[in-house]
Amino acid sequence: MLTDPIAALATPPGRAALAVVRLSGDGAFEVAKKVIVGFRAKPPRTARLAAFLAVDGTPIDRGLYLSFPGPASYTGEDMVELTCHGGVLTAARLLAALQAAGARPAAPGEFTRRAVLNGKMDLVQAEGVADLVDATAQIQARRALHQLEGGLSCRLTALREQLLGLLASLSYEVDFPEEDDGPIERSALVGELDTLLAAVERLLASAPIGERIREGALVVFAGRPNAGKSSLFNALLGSERALVTELPGTTRDTIEASVDLEGWPVRLADTAGLWEAPDRLDQLGIAVSRRYLDAADLVLLCVEVGLELEPDEMRILEHHPSFLVRTKVDLAGSRGQGIGVSILTGEGLDELKRRLVDRLFADGSGGYPDLEPMLTRERHLVALDRARDALREARPHLVQNGDAVLAAHHVRVAVSALDELVGVVDTDEVFERVFRRFCVGK
Amino acid sequence: MDRFDVIVIGGGHAGAEAAALSARSGAATLLLTQHLETIGQMSCNPAIGGIAKGTVVREVDAFGGIMGRATDLARIQFRMLNRSKGPAVWSPRAQCDRGLYRRSVRSLLERLPRIRFVQGTVSSLLMEGQRVAGVVTSDGRRFSARAVVVTAGTFLRGRIHMGLDAPIPAGRAGESPAVEMAQHLENIGLTVERFKTGTPPRIDGRSVDLAGLERQDGDAGSYWFSHFERPAHPPQLPCYLTHTGPELNDIITAHIELSALYGGAISGRGPRYCPSIEDKVVRFPDAERHQVFLEPEGLETNEMYVNGLSTSLPPEVQRAYLRSIPGLERVEMTRPGYAIEYDYFPPTQLNATLGVKGVDGLFFAGQINGTTGYEEAAGQGVVAGVNAAAVALNREPMTIGRDEAFIGVLIDDLVTRGVDEPYRLFTSRAEFRLLLRQDNALRRLLPLVSSLGTLTDSECRTAEEFLEEEDKILGLAREQMVSPSQVNDLLRTAGTPPITQAIRVADLVRRPRVVLHEVLLAAGQVVDLAHSNWGEVELKYEGYVARERELASKTASMDTFELPIDFDYPSAITIAYEAREKLSQVRPSTLGQAGRVPGVTPSDLQNLVVEVLRRRRSAPVP
Repeated sequence: MLTDPIAALATPPGRAALAVVRLSGDGAFEVAKKVIVGFRAKPPRTARLAAFLAVDGTPIDRGLYLSFPGPASYTGEDMVELTCHGGVLTAARLLAALQAAGARPAAPGEFTRRAVLNGKMDLVQAEGVADLVDATAQIQARRALHQLEGGLSCRLTALREQLLGLLASLSYEVDFPEEDDGPIERSALVGELDTLLAAVERLLASAPIGERIREGALVVFAGRPNAGKSSLFNALLGSERALVTELPGTTRDTIEASVDLEGWPVRLADTAGLWEAPDRLDQLGIAVSRRYLDAADLVLLCVEVGLELEPDEMRILEHHPSFLVRTKVDLAGSRGQGIGVSILTGEGLDELKRRLVDRLFADGSGGYPDLEPMLTRERHLVALDRARDALREARPHLVQNGDAVLAAHHVRVAVSALDELVGVVDTDEVFERVFRRFCVGK
Repeated sequence: MDRFDVIVIGGGHAGAEAAALSARSGAATLLLTQHLETIGQMSCNPAIGGIAKGTVVREVDAFGGIMGRATDLARIQFRMLNRSKGPAVWSPRAQCDRGLYRRSVRSLLERLPRIRFVQGTVSSLLMEGQRVAGVVTSDGRRFSARAVVVTAGTFLRGRIHMGLDAPIPAGRAGESPAVEMAQHLENIGLTVERFKTGTPPRIDGRSVDLAGLERQDGDAGSYWFSHFERPAHPPQLPCYLTHTGPELNDIITAHIELSALYGGAISGRGPRYCPSIEDKVVRFPDAERHQVFLEPEGLETNEMYVNGLSTSLPPEVQRAYLRSIPGLERVEMTRPGYAIEYDYFPPTQLNATLGVKGVDGLFFAGQINGTTGYEEAAGQGVVAGVNAAAVALNREPMTIGRDEAFIGVLIDDLVTRGVDEPYRLFTSRAEFRLLLRQDNALRRLLPLVSSLGTLTDSECRTAEEFLEEEDKILGLAREQMVSPSQVNDLLRTAGTPPITQAIRVADLVRRPRVVLHEVLLAAGQVVDLAHSNWGEVELKYEGYVARERELASKTASMDTFELPIDFDYPSAITIAYEAREKLSQVRPSTLGQAGRVPGVTPSDLQNLVVEVLRRRRSAPVP
C-alpha cells in the first residue's frame, strides 16, 4: 500500500485552459499504458502528444504527457504527468480512467509524503512538511464535509444507512436462524433492494446535471421556417446575434451562443429549419440541425400560435427532451398546448427562462443541486456505478430460496463502494441494527 | 517443587484445549483445577456448535483439539443449522449429554502423554521480574513453569444473583469463586472490568406434558465434528419447542423490581444476543410470545434445560412463570436460573498470541477475556496452549489470520477492538465468510498445524488422506458426465430445470440445492458425504471464493508491515488525537491490525507509516 500507484489532479480544480494530472508509484507506467495511446516511458522528461482513452476505449481528450522514471522524480517513484484541457470534467474523466486502470486516488499530501519516504527531502524539511500536510488535510477534510452536507452527500449517507439495514436483515437471517420472529420474508427484502436500486439509479441519472453546470447546457431551437426561432434565440440572448427575417429559411447554418440564464450556463443553438429545402446549403443546414438535436439537453420546438403540429414536430417532442413553445402569442389564434411567448410584448419569456433552468439544472424538481466540485462528483459517480452493479448482482440471490450469503456478499460490496465516500463500515454497526430490531437469543 | 513447562489453570473448555495443545506441542503440562470432576463441564446450555461456533469446533479439531471428538462421543442430537441457506454458513450443532461430554473430555485428555492433573486453587503467580515462573495454590503448594495459561472462566470474583437477595460468591452454582487469584492479577497491574451473563432454570422432565409440544428431532444421517475419528454416536433424543404467552409477560412485569438485573443489583454488562427473559419482555413489550426450547440434559436423567429463559429473578418467580408456559403447567424446577457477574480482563491487554503484554509467559484464554461460549473458549485455548508451549520450548509464536480461521477473527477482534459486551462469534464478523467454512477447516489449517507438530504421525496421514479423498471427488465431478435419465428426477426434487443432454456433474452442482454426492450416486459413483461436501461448496462458490481470496491477499500485505511494540504514539502528532489514544492502548503489532482499531482512519494510517519509517531511519545504527 505504500508504493501502489496513486493519481491526483495537480492543478486547482475549476475552469482553466489546462489541467495537470499526476500519477506516481510502482506500476505507474503500466497504468499509463492503459490510458495513454502509444505510451512510452523513454526518453524521460520529454513531452509527447497522445490520445487519452477511458478503459473502455471512449476518447477523453488529446494532450501532452511526460514520464519521470524513478528515482529522478518528485516522489522518487516512477511518475507520469498528463496535461489535458482544462475544466473539471475532462480532468475528472482522466482521473477516473487512471483509477479504472489501477491507480488509487491520492490522499491529500500523499505525493509529498512519498517524496519524504524516498529521501527526496531531508528530515528537518520532512517534519515541517508532515505537520503541514496533516494540517491541510484536516482543514480539507472539514471543508469537504461542510460542502457535502448540502445535497448529494446527505442522500449518499441515507442510502448507506438503508444498505446497512438490508445487510443487518441478511446478517439476522444467517446468524440467527432460530429466533422468535422467524425468518424475514424474502419478498420484503427484495422490495427493500428494489427501492435502494431505484434510489441509486435516480442519483446516477441526475449526474448529467453536474456536467451541464460545467459545460453549459445545450438548448437547441427547432421548428419550421419562420416559426420565430431566431427571434426567440435573440430574445433569450439579449442581443441581435442571429439574423432575423420574415423570409422562410433565412437561417442557413447553426448559430451557437453562450448565455447566463438566471445565473446558469446555457448554450443556445439556432438551427436551420427542419424542412426539405431545394438548395444544398439548406440541406447542409438540416444535417447540422439533426446532429444538434441528438446532442441537445433540451429542444425548444417553436410552433406559431394557431398552427397544428406536423408529424415531424410530433416526433421531436416524442424522441427528444423538449419543450413546445407557442410563438407569436400576440397574434390571434388558438394557443393549444405549450409555453406561449411573444417577442413583441415579452409575454411568457420569464416563464420560459424559469422553466428552462428548472428542467436543465434541477431535473424539473424545482430545487437546485448542490454545487460541489465536479471532482468529488466524478468519484461519486464511480462509487454509485459500483453500488448499482453490486445491487443488481445481489438481487437474484435475495429471492425466495436464494443464497443469503451471496446476497450479503454483494450488498457488502455496495456498502463498501459508498464507504469510500462517506466513511468505513463497522461490523458493530450491522449488529447494532440487528439487536435493535430483533429480539434474538434462543 | 514440581517443575513443568506449562501450567494451565482451569479445566473448562479453554483450559482443556490449552492443556491438550500444550501437551501435543511437546511441553510437559500441568492442568490445575479446583475440581477434577468438573473438567469439561458445560456450565450453561448442553449444546456444542451452532452458527460460526460449529466451524470453530472443526478448526479446534484440525489442531488436534478435544472439543470435536468429545462432541462426537457425547452428542444426543445433531442438526446442521442453516441447511436451507448457502452452504458457506451451514453450521453443525449437537445437543450433548452433559455428563458424557465431561467424561469424554477427561478421558481424551488422559490419552495424551506429557499431561498431569492436579486439584487445587491457585492463589497467585510466581514471578521473576516481569516473567512468570510458576504458581502457588491457596494451600501453599508451589509449581514451577516457563509459561502459565489462566482460563478462570467466570470464577474470578464470581457472584451469583437470584433476585435481590445478597449475591452468592460462586464461580458456578455450587462452586467457590477465585478471589485471591483475581486480586493477585489486579495487583500485577492488569485492568479489570465486570461482565454478567445468565443461565435459565432446569426442570424435571417427568413433570412436563410433552403431548401438545412441537417435537424437534435431529438430522438423520451421520456427521462427525472430528476429522480423525468416527466413534459410534450414543442414542439420539429429541428436543421440544414451546413458547411463552401474555401471562408470562404479566408475571415478569409485576415482579420486574425483584430482578437482580432491573432492581439495580448488577452493574456488569450482559450480552445483547443472549438476553434474559426480563430483557425480552421489557425491550420488546409488543412481542406476545417467545420461543422456549426444552433440551435434554442427558441419557440417564429426565432433567431438561429450558433454553430461552435465562433470568435473575427470584426462584419463586421463575417457578411461577415456568408454569404459565404450555406443557409446563405442573412443572417442577430442579435448579433455578441465575445471573452471574465476574471479572474479565479487557483483551486489548493481550497480544494476538493471547500472551499478556508486558508479562512474559502469561497467557489468558476464554471467558476471562470477555468472551462467551464454549467454542470461543476452546478456540482461544488452542492458541494459548500452542503459544505457552512455544515460550517454554523456545519456538516461534503462532498467530492466526482473519482469513485463515474464525479463531483468527475472534482473537483479532478481541485484541484489536476490545469488547463492550460478552463477545460471541457470528459469521457476519468475518470479512471472508465464504472462505471460513465448516467443510474446509482442515484444509485451511493443515499447513499451519503440520508446522506446529501437534498432530501425531497417524493423524497427519489421516488428514492428508482426507484431503486427497476430497480432491479426488472434486476431480471426478469435473470429469464425470451425467445423462438426463440419470439426474432429471433429482433435479425436479431440487426445484431446478431438467437437462436435455449429457452434462458434466460439476456444471450441475453449481445450481442451487443440487447435492454433489446425490448426483454422483445417480451416476453410479458412491462417495462419502463427509468427503464430497467440500468439493460441492467449492463448485457452488467457485468465482466468489477466488475473489475473496484475492481480497484477502491484498489486505495481507498490511499485516506484514510491522509496528514497533514500544512506539511512542503520544509524540506522533500528525496522527489524530483520538487515534493516538486508541493506538497507544491497543499497541497493534502490524499496520493491518492498526487499521482495524476503531476510530483509526486511513489518513491516520498513512501518517503512522510516515512516522514509523522516519523514526526507523533516524534511529542510531548499532
